[in-house]
Amino acid sequence: MSKHDQTPHLPRRKRSARLSLAVMGAGAFGLTACGQPPQEEQITEVRFDEPRSFQSVEECVAANIYTRSACEDAYSASLEAVPRFSTLEECEAEHGEGACTAPSEEQAQAATGSSGGSWFMPAMMGYMVGSMMSNTNRGRSFERVYQEPVYRNRQNQGNWNTASNQATQRVTQRNEAMRSSVVQSRQAAQSRQATTQRSGFGSRSSARGGWGS
Amino acid sequence: MLRIDIPERNNWQALAHELGFHFHTIGGEPYWKEDAYYQFTMEQVEQDIEAPTEELHEMCMELVDKVCHSNALMQRLALPEHMWDSIHNSWKSGQPHLYGRMDFAYSGSGPAKLLELNYDTPTSLYEAGFFQWVWLEQAIEQGILPRHADQYNSIQERLINAMAHLGDRIKARTMYFSCIKDNAEERATVHYLQDVAIQAGLKAPFIYTEDIGLRAGMDHFVDLDDKPIHALFKLYPWEEMADDGFGEQIPQLNTHWFEPPWKAILSNKGILPLLWEHFEGHPNLLPAFFENASSPPLPAGWVRKPFFSREGSNIELITPSGQRETVDGPYTDSPWIRQAYHPMPRFGNNHALIGSWVVGDRACGMGIREDVGRITKDSSCFVPHAIV
Repeated sequence: MSKHDQTPHLPRRKRSARLSLAVMGAGAFGLTACGQPPQEEQITEVRFDEPRSFQSVEECVAANIYTRSACEDAYSASLEAVPRFSTLEECEAEHGEGACTAPSEEQAQAATGSSGGSWFMPAMMGYMVGSMMSNTNRGRSFERVYQEPVYRNRQNQGNWNTASNQATQRVTQRNEAMRSSVVQSRQAAQSRQATTQRSGFGSRSSARGGWGS
Repeated sequence: MLRIDIPERNNWQALAHELGFHFHTIGGEPYWKEDAYYQFTMEQVEQDIEAPTEELHEMCMELVDKVCHSNALMQRLALPEHMWDSIHNSWKSGQPHLYGRMDFAYSGSGPAKLLELNYDTPTSLYEAGFFQWVWLEQAIEQGILPRHADQYNSIQERLINAMAHLGDRIKARTMYFSCIKDNAEERATVHYLQDVAIQAGLKAPFIYTEDIGLRAGMDHFVDLDDKPIHALFKLYPWEEMADDGFGEQIPQLNTHWFEPPWKAILSNKGILPLLWEHFEGHPNLLPAFFENASSPPLPAGWVRKPFFSREGSNIELITPSGQRETVDGPYTDSPWIRQAYHPMPRFGNNHALIGSWVVGDRACGMGIREDVGRITKDSSCFVPHAIV
């Protein structure tokens, strides 16, 4: 059985419990899987309420969106969903060299309710916190925090959104050289024209038709 | 794995129109078919599709790392030199990807064999992630399928989570979405991804690929109002972008791309011989080699594919018994690989191909395409599946 279906709150199932569309098609559309939630209750609208991802409970609390206990619950539930291995080698065999770590005290506590214990897991880059709000035919709505790890940490710090990156010095130098030469040629071009160029992408589309694969 | 005839849902065409699925019929021919479904057992799905998909995904990530550190490998994959830094930097700085699809030949027993990776511009996403799911729910509701029927499909849920993760890291939680003009199917796929992004709390404006602007003095590509595009999803392949008029500007500007530039390594069929070199004998891989000037004519039992090709174009195969099949196309300007022929299972006149989806780093669902030919094309039909 799959390691990923260890979330304790849901029966084992390979499909999502509910899906909807927000804007596509004639109108919002929501459906819910048979038998869940209880059959007498029919969901008429489902909304995911801006789920966010965080790297730690403290980051989640600091964002001032969810209560501390919601942040903690989501964090420990997401840790429970992370596959665990008894040795580093087993973990690396599955997830790749350098991709695994021993849990921190805090993680061990959150995942198992007790500190210590020797086990290994793939490093997490972040965890999700969010709520799903549903209107039902009884007029009630409920909210459930959901959570899961999203990406594995592959020996990088997930700093892709920052300007700095970890390119080698050679690459950085080459980039800089190229960048400054482009800036110069662009400034030269700018003095000639301050207009925006378009059709610089997609020009070969008419030759080949679609691109989906 | 079985192909089972069943009744269609009443009026499903009207529902499809209501839900934005206008390409269920293409050029008068059916694309979505529900007069049959493919039936799997839980073991087949979990052991033979889901687990190998995750394992192969990790192997691919390992190879990306290797290629990123080797100019020789970049060269072997015919990646243009002006893109090397972008590819390397996007990987080293941990730029996440969104999704990908692996295509497998799998008959229900024995290991699924990887035919190719679609890791840059995969489509059939809406059909697999949403419409297939709706089909299952309604088929159960209408008594067409038993109540315990299930489906290997958390694609949309995973997409929403992954998109939310990305949203937290891009400026103003705004991701532009783009595809080329005059292609209804691709526009619909992108429309679906915009929907997913909105459900994940992002702002998701659309711009046609041709309308992306370059403005002197700006650090980013710009939209139609000349505002900077900080992050952009493109349903348009890296090998074409790199060659296009703005290609040389890509490394110089700070626009974040989805898929990121390192996906150029995996959307290239040259990855198949590299996988075989590094993991020779792996049960889910087929022998594959680079073709070169001294390669003999294609022997029986082998398939020939260009590095860059979409929807089955320019593929040639010869079965072990000597039957030859080809699909024409425009992709004759890149190197070629050869891959050992492995038959797709045949049900009546149909050959079935399994598309196994990866979102973030996780296998999360599947869609089946079938074709009377041995090569899956853009005209191949989508048929839903269920676990029973």
